[in-house]
Amino acid sequence: MNALESISIAIDAVRSQKLRSSLTLLSIGIGVFAIIASTSIMSTLQQAVNGQLADLGENSILIQRTPTINFGTNWAKMRKRKNITYAQAQQFRDRMTTTQLISISNESPAYTIKAGLESTNPDVSLIGIDDQYFAVNAITIGEGRSFIESEVILNRRAAIIGTDVVKALFGQGSALGKTITIKNQEFDVIGILESRGGVLGQSQDNRVLIPITVFNRYYTSEWDASVDISVKAESKLTLESTFDEAVGVMRALRSVKPWDENNFEIDTNDAITGQFSGFSSALLIVAWISGLGALVAAGIGIMNMMLVSVRERTREIGVRKALGARKRWIVRQFLIESITLCQLGGLTGMIGGLGSSWAVTEILRGTMPSLSYVMPWGTVVFSIVICTVIGIGFGLYPAWRAATLDPIEALRYE
Amino acid sequence: MSQPIIEIANLVKRYEMGDEEVFALQGVTLTIGRNEYVALMGPSGSGKSTLMNMLGCLDTPTSGSYLFTGENVSDMDDDDLAEIRNREIGFVFQTFNLLPRATALQNVELPLVYSGMAREQRMQRATEALTRVGLADRMDHKPNELSGGQRQRVAIARALVTSPSIILADEPTGNLDSKTGQDIMRLFGELWRGGNTVILVTHEEDIARHARRIIRLRDGRIESDEVNPHAPLA
Repeated sequence: MNALESISIAIDAVRSQKLRSSLTLLSIGIGVFAIIASTSIMSTLQQAVNGQLADLGENSILIQRTPTINFGTNWAKMRKRKNITYAQAQQFRDRMTTTQLISISNESPAYTIKAGLESTNPDVSLIGIDDQYFAVNAITIGEGRSFIESEVILNRRAAIIGTDVVKALFGQGSALGKTITIKNQEFDVIGILESRGGVLGQSQDNRVLIPITVFNRYYTSEWDASVDISVKAESKLTLESTFDEAVGVMRALRSVKPWDENNFEIDTNDAITGQFSGFSSALLIVAWISGLGALVAAGIGIMNMMLVSVRERTREIGVRKALGARKRWIVRQFLIESITLCQLGGLTGMIGGLGSSWAVTEILRGTMPSLSYVMPWGTVVFSIVICTVIGIGFGLYPAWRAATLDPIEALRYE
Repeated sequence: MSQPIIEIANLVKRYEMGDEEVFALQGVTLTIGRNEYVALMGPSGSGKSTLMNMLGCLDTPTSGSYLFTGENVSDMDDDDLAEIRNREIGFVFQTFNLLPRATALQNVELPLVYSGMAREQRMQRATEALTRVGLADRMDHKPNELSGGQRQRVAIARALVTSPSIILADEPTGNLDSKTGQDIMRLFGELWRGGNTVILVTHEEDIARHARRIIRLRDGRIESDEVNPHAPLA
């Protein structure tokens, strides 16, 4: 009864002092919001980068229309960039001389795969690939085989599927030779990817690979029709010359004037990691410092609210003490109250933070289709813990003041 | 005299008011036995309230000794005092002092919560106490839904619920009209006849007249301590 009573007193206190409470709760909310939103967005982006780096093998170069992680750059300009069409990518492949390991692919998230009566969640990545894909990327086939060149050219309805998809559709049974359906098109399963586990909670096995020609015909829309080109240099020594050649060939194919910047993204996997980690750690540090700062400020607000609450209820405290409440009962009552206040604010910030980071992810998908939202569970738990710690930390002094009131004085208080 | 509950000897209480020292009690010696019905009287400034706070274990003396059922209260710390108040003393205040947000039943349960009693047992004891003061049908009412007399009955039930050694009532009828006041005094009479020890603190002769023994204070000393000749028969 007592804990519930303390919680309802806290909620009443919020109601009866609307302005002061809402400002205090707002600042807790802002603190939690900053921490949750920044961590969530960063994890989402990190996952996209890691996913891509995991796919990209050593000494590899990735060419895309827009960067996977897109910051500090002019968005309007990015959006104006022309797609890298499949035809253009094929021309690129034919013109490159320093390496023959070039693969053209495209990815589209969130498909539902069916087989008979079974179906997967609508979150499977569908990737269109060519016959070079496995030679260039750090992905291997566990069972079955890859596509051969003629299958890609002739639009063969064949698929190589990840182990998560196998499990969802066929359980423990074998998937090879079975038929799966993706948006009304049937595919024969000819290969199964080797399981790779997850990166940041996102499984790398939840994907289906099909020939890029089929992909282009059925599964692209205008905004994600641009393909990706992966280039693998023959060795570490030739990486630089391959990189330079790739830039030159792409510029020529896309008619970039000598004085203009590249109108495509080209990066080695090292460069991608470097760019991202510099950016993300700077942003996280700023967000966490301001978030924690807001929380400390909010803590002082909480302490003030609690001191008012103690003063307003002096007489009640006197009665409780007269009836035999020991110090720790009184302390406990007021701590529960201040923790409740903090959690109310924290919850608001959490909902706001999760909601807005989800929204930001959705917006970023416009230019980075491979993003998928990462729920920052660890940070959610951390926020609940930190709100409790602040409730205790800043509630302790008011609670102690209440507990050590002289019962005679308190009973006399008007 | 029956077995003593309260034994006070040479009790002195000194306050510091700025630079001045105020002796609220200047050597009070007093014994109160089980199942007595005592009225503590005196004008304001007589030390009556200070003595009541001492008796109620809300305060400790500057010097002198106070034994409560044989236990030395004079040098207990706050938590020990809280425990003895919880177990041995039932307070009834002039202004009732109920928790406004809690129902009558929850108010009566409160001392049992602090004594750590299990919920079921608490409910049962609180229900019994409320029934005893005639409020069996008002248990789920909040204080603002009750009349003054009913509120004071809830407060009395709260004082009774722990079966304390003494019931200490500070001007219990001070905020009630005279008819309701008489009802409340009748209730104290019943409690006393039922075996409880009742100490009334009052400045009204009419109220004090209900007690069997009247102790008058003046200037921090006991002025008189005598059996009440007007007391109604038991």
